[in-house]
Amino acid sequence: MSDYIIEAENLIYTYPDGTQALKGINIKIPKGKKVAVLGSNGAGKSTLFLHCNGILKPQQGIVKYDGREVRYDRKSLLQLRKNVGIVFQDPDSQLFSASVYQEISFGPLNFGLSEETVRKRVEQAMSATEVAGLKDKPTHMLSYGQKKRVSIADILAMEPEVIICDEPTAWLDPKHAQQTVKLFDRINSSGTTIMMSTHDVDLAYSWADYIFVLSNGEVIGEGIPEQVFTNEILIKKADLEKPWLVQVSEVLLIKGCLPKAAVLPRNRERLFELIINHGTNVGEEEVINDFSDFRNNGRERDHISADLKGL
Amino acid sequence: MSGEGNKQQKKRYMLKIDSFAYANKLRNVHPAEKTAFALTTMLLCLIFSSVTLSAVIIILMAGVTVGLAGIPVKTYLRLMFLPFSFLLVGVITVAVSASAGDTVVGANAAEWLVKIKISKIALGITPEGLLAAARLFFKSLGTVSCLYFMSLTTPFVEIAMMMRKIKLPALFIELTEIIYRFIFVLLKTAEDIYTSQSSRWGYSSFKNSMNSLGCLTAALFVRSLHRSQELFTTLTARGYTGQLNVLAPQYPVSAANITLIIIVETFLVISAVLLEVNKFV
Repeated sequence: MSDYIIEAENLIYTYPDGTQALKGINIKIPKGKKVAVLGSNGAGKSTLFLHCNGILKPQQGIVKYDGREVRYDRKSLLQLRKNVGIVFQDPDSQLFSASVYQEISFGPLNFGLSEETVRKRVEQAMSATEVAGLKDKPTHMLSYGQKKRVSIADILAMEPEVIICDEPTAWLDPKHAQQTVKLFDRINSSGTTIMMSTHDVDLAYSWADYIFVLSNGEVIGEGIPEQVFTNEILIKKADLEKPWLVQVSEVLLIKGCLPKAAVLPRNRERLFELIINHGTNVGEEEVINDFSDFRNNGRERDHISADLKGL
Repeated sequence: MSGEGNKQQKKRYMLKIDSFAYANKLRNVHPAEKTAFALTTMLLCLIFSSVTLSAVIIILMAGVTVGLAGIPVKTYLRLMFLPFSFLLVGVITVAVSASAGDTVVGANAAEWLVKIKISKIALGITPEGLLAAARLFFKSLGTVSCLYFMSLTTPFVEIAMMMRKIKLPALFIELTEIIYRFIFVLLKTAEDIYTSQSSRWGYSSFKNSMNSLGCLTAALFVRSLHRSQELFTTLTARGYTGQLNVLAPQYPVSAANITLIIIVETFLVISAVLLEVNKFV
């Protein structure tokens, strides 16, 4: 037993066309946590995920599952895939069956479970993802959001220890994105480790327990959200943006609307609570000084944007 | 543009049948019951070449499909007219007999109903020919009506499930299933590409159309290959080991339906035998 469910040590992978996708990646995914992997397009997130489930075999370095090195014989791989499920980004490439029920039953059946157990799991997965009403509908008549939920149910029915999601909220409308995130929270609360890649810094900041930042096939930073998103250099290097909560809190902190020692709020409600509970009677001078600082920062940003325009 | 319109229409029919299969009033009837009903009726239609029996079957199937399954009459009639042109050509060639001289081969002389003589060859219609043609016509239409009942009330997924039950080779079933699923994925892709091309004047002239169509076809090929690779990856991630094992949802078996089917089929058999014995057409 290990504190980390998946570990990758010095992972190197180059695609046949010469693209060096991973250049010596080291990560440790804490067990039972919600982990976000951030990075721009082509940073190596998907390649990393395919390693976690044994689809890709590292050219150099090792992958460990629950403290033990992954072996690549048929039986060990099947065992690994039973424990690590991947929800792919495009549900159309994952859903192979025209029937929602058949589709979901595929995974658990591969692990030699009895028909009765599989049926029970399919039912559970369908009710957890709220697709039970779609049971009699063919896959091609579902909307994108519905397909996405079925593709999550696919993996849920396998009851893995880790669920990896490649951009689960991409192309979803805010309401369904919210629902998906809530679903992941529910799954996580029963002890399943969740790992997701995303471009949505606001989501990552509010949702994740731990964050990895990837850029160009390397891990350029990691830590708890508050650490990662207050590290200006890291954020710039990774082509990311600060979450709005962090930006607003920083301004409010300078303005004196938040207590100085306050921990950065992780969600809207917490922020409002901090503002409301905090009196605004702060020394005027201090505010002005800090604010001019802030204005200077703003000017600096203007310079940058002017430079960008020059390009 | 009429060619394109025609193609669109055919596609629409295909999709229409597919959507009716998923949304009709007999949707929740056990697929085995529907299959048994359609196949036995079809078998009877094929075994007994009786015009009357075929006509009864056509009416019966139309009644069940429209009345019980709730398929709109208009759609049903249109679908029934689809095989008409094939049928007509086939039936005419059977009805018309030709012979050298005045005698009809294999039949009594001077039995022509209509006759044209072109030098020494006589072309015409004989009562036997007409009867054979009528039998063929009704038999085909009867069989078609059974197949329509099946495809309008039973989704492909359940037909595949039946194929599993009767132990057809797994590879064959898996292939059909995946092809069925990806017809729709490719159709969607083709539609998207077509839309994006036409929004950029891709089909504004004949030359442009040819060019765009070529690109579309090529893109579809590449996408299909890409899709198949992706599918393999995603299946492998779920423990695929060479067999697409799946479970179908369970349907309630209805004793009433089975009894009804048995009664109807027995009635058909008895009437078919009686018709045969009494040498009725």
